[in-house]
Amino acid sequence: MTQTIIWTIAILTLLGALLAVVLYVVAEKFKVEEDPRIDDVEKELPGANCGGCGQAGCRAFAQFCVESEDLDKCFCPVGGNDVMQKVASVLGREVAAKEPMVAVVRCNGTCENRPKTNEYGGYQSCRVKAALYSGDTGCSFGCLGCGDCVSVCQFGAITMDPATGLPVVDEEKCTACGACVKTCPKGVIELRNKGRRNMRVYVSCVNKDKGAVARKACKAACIGCSKCAKVCPFEAITVENNVAYIDYTKCKLCKKCVAECPTAAIHAVNFPVVKPKPEAAPCHPERSEGSVKPEVEKKEE
Amino acid sequence: MMKTFSIGGIHPSDKKISKDCKIEVLPVPSKVFISVAQHLGAPATPVVKAGDQVKVGQVIAEPAGFISAYVHSSVSGTVKSVGPRKDIAGNNVVHIEIDVEGDEWVEGVDLSDTLVTEIPQDNKAILDKIKMCGVVGLGGATFPAHVKLCPPPGKKADCLILNGAECEPYLTSDYRIMLERSKEIVIGAAIMKQVLGGCPAVIGIEENKPEAIKAMKAALAELQAAAKGYEGISVMSLKKKYPQGGEKQLIDAVMKRQVKSMGLPIDVGAVVQNVATSLAVYEAVQKNKPLITNTLTVTGDCLPLEKQHNYLFRIGMPLSYIAEYAGGVPEEAAKIISGGPMMGKAIANLDATTVKGSSSLLYLTAEQTVRGVESACIRCGKCAEACPMGLEPFLLQKYARNSMMDELEENAIQDCIECGCCLYSCPANIPLLDIIRIAKGDVIKIIRGRAIKN
Repeated sequence: MTQTIIWTIAILTLLGALLAVVLYVVAEKFKVEEDPRIDDVEKELPGANCGGCGQAGCRAFAQFCVESEDLDKCFCPVGGNDVMQKVASVLGREVAAKEPMVAVVRCNGTCENRPKTNEYGGYQSCRVKAALYSGDTGCSFGCLGCGDCVSVCQFGAITMDPATGLPVVDEEKCTACGACVKTCPKGVIELRNKGRRNMRVYVSCVNKDKGAVARKACKAACIGCSKCAKVCPFEAITVENNVAYIDYTKCKLCKKCVAECPTAAIHAVNFPVVKPKPEAAPCHPERSEGSVKPEVEKKEE
Repeated sequence: MMKTFSIGGIHPSDKKISKDCKIEVLPVPSKVFISVAQHLGAPATPVVKAGDQVKVGQVIAEPAGFISAYVHSSVSGTVKSVGPRKDIAGNNVVHIEIDVEGDEWVEGVDLSDTLVTEIPQDNKAILDKIKMCGVVGLGGATFPAHVKLCPPPGKKADCLILNGAECEPYLTSDYRIMLERSKEIVIGAAIMKQVLGGCPAVIGIEENKPEAIKAMKAALAELQAAAKGYEGISVMSLKKKYPQGGEKQLIDAVMKRQVKSMGLPIDVGAVVQNVATSLAVYEAVQKNKPLITNTLTVTGDCLPLEKQHNYLFRIGMPLSYIAEYAGGVPEEAAKIISGGPMMGKAIANLDATTVKGSSSLLYLTAEQTVRGVESACIRCGKCAEACPMGLEPFLLQKYARNSMMDELEENAIQDCIECGCCLYSCPANIPLLDIIRIAKGDVIKIIRGRAIKN
C-alpha cells in the first residue's frame, strides 16, 4: 500500500519534471519576439476595441503606433488628445494635438418638415430600407429613421427622438469613432469639429435635388440658392449639386448664413441663450457682459 | 411524370384574374419620360439634347459599356429636357422628356402585320440587329440579350430554353403574348437557336396554362410544316411550382443540370430567354423594330373584372397615366407593385414611367400586404425546405444579423436568388429575405474584391 503511494508520487514527479523541461525548450524555441512597448502603449488605450482608429482593435492600434514612423497618422478617437499625448510619451515621440470631433446629423426631415408620402412596412433597418427604395418621404437623400446608427454606436451616444424621427447625438458621449458615419446608407452623418466652446454652424441637409423639388419634399431642405455662400465673409461655404456645405476649418461662427437661409436649413448649435427665458432667474451682471450676449439681445429686438 | 426543378419551391395561389383580357394598345400620352437605365449594367448615355426632333424608333441613348443597351424613342416629337427624375423606387435617374407630336417612325421599320417566317442566315447581322434594337431580357433582370447570345469562347450552348413559366401569381402578360403572338415567339426562338449554333430549343410552360401550351404547339407545328429552320424546337409542359421561372430552376427542370455556385447558365450549356424577349428578338430581326413596347398587366383582387387589363405600352409612359386610363387606382389598394407579388417591387412613386421590363401594375389590399409580427425562430425548417437553391435561410439570417461573413460565404449566401420562398413560408414572420439580401450583397462584394486582388 505505502509502496504504491510512493511509486505514484515518484512517477508523477518525474513526469512533471520531464514535461516541464519539454515545455521550457519548446517555449524557448518558438518564442515570438514582440516589442514590449506594444504592451505599454496598450495599457494607455481605452480598451473599447471599437475600431474607430481604423485598426482591428486596441492592441492592433498599439502595434500600429509602435511601428508607424509618424504618430500624427495614428489617432484614437475615443481617447482623444489626452491618450495620444500619453502614447507619445511612452514612445518618447511627439504628436500634434488634433481638434476634437463630433458626429453631426445633417438632416432636417422631422415629421413636420418632411411629410410622409408612403408607408414602409418592411424590416426596420436603414440598410434594408435603402436597398429597396428611396424612403417613405419625398426626399430621397435624408434620414430613413430606422436607427441603424443607434444600434451601431458602442458608446450609447445616439438616440432616436420619437418626436422628430431623427437621431440625436449626445455630444458628451460621442467619441467620433465614425461607426455611425460608415453605417448610414444615406451618408447623413458627418464628423465635424467640436468647435470653439462646442459651438457649431452647419448645413443640416444633404438633399441634392433642385431647389423646387427639395422644397416640395421637405420644408427645411437646402434649396441650393447660394445666399449663404454670398453672405459668408470667410468663403467657408460652397454650393455643389444644389446643396451647400460649410467648411468647418474656415467657418468663424459669425452666423451670418444662419440668418440668411430662407429655409432655416443652416443650424447653429450651442450658442449661448438661443431661447429667451422670461421666467428664469435674473442674470448675474458679470455674466451678461460676455461678448456674445449683446449680439443675441440685439437680434431679439 | 411532369418535369420541375428538384429542390425546394412553394405553391402560392395561382390567381390569374386578367388571363382572358385581350392585349389592348395604349394610346400615346402627350408627354413621355424615357429612362436611360432600363437594363442591367451601366446606364446608357443620352445622345439627344433639349430641342432635338426625334422620331419613333430613333436612338436617344447609347450603351455606356459592354453590359449596357441602346435606348430608343418610343414617340415622335421634341425633346424637352434631359435630366434627373424619380424612378419607381424614388431614386433619381436620368430621363429624356419628349413632347409628343404625331406618330412618325424612323425609316426601315416594318409596321405591317405580315409574318416574316424566313430566317436570315447571317448570324453576325442578326446579333448586330438585336444589339442595335436595344433588346434586353424581359423576364425581370433586363440583361442585354445579345450578351447572352454570344457565349464566351470555349463554351457552347447545348440548349436554348424559352421561359414561358410565368410562375408569379397575377401576372398574365407572358400568357397573353403566348396566345396572341405565338408564331412570332416561335420565330424568335428559331432565330436565337440559329445564332447559338443550332442547338435544340425548349419552350417551357407551366401546366396551369393549357391554352398557352396548345397555342404554342399549334404555332410550332404550323411553322415547322411551312418553313425551314424550325426543327429541334419543342414545347415542354412543366409542373406548377414557384419559382419555376428562375433561370437556374428552369435549367434544372428542363435539362436536369445544375448551375454551380457563382456560375453562369452557359457553364452547363444553357441559355435562357423569356418568351417576351423572343418576341422582341422577332420584331428586331424580322421587322427592324427596336424594343420600345412591351406588355403589362393591370390587375389585383380589388379590381372588378372589367377593369383588369393587359396593355401593350410604349416605354416612357407615366404609370399614373396607365392607372388613370385603366380606370383609376382602386380605393382599397394599399400597395401597388410593379412585377409579381413574390419578387416585384413596390412602387413608391406612381409618377415614375414604364421601362422595357415593366410587367404589371398590381394592386394589393391592406390585408394582402400587412406583415405579421416577428417572433422567434422555432427551427421548423420550412424555409430550408422551401429554398429552391438548397440554402438554410434561418441560419443565414442569424449569421447575417451578427455580420459573420466567413460563415455566410461557407453557407453559400451568394447563391440566393431572392425569390422570397423563405419569407413566404416562415410561420414566425421573420423578415428572412430582407436580412439575407443585404448580407448577400456584402458577401458578393467581398468575393469580387478578393478576385480582383488575386
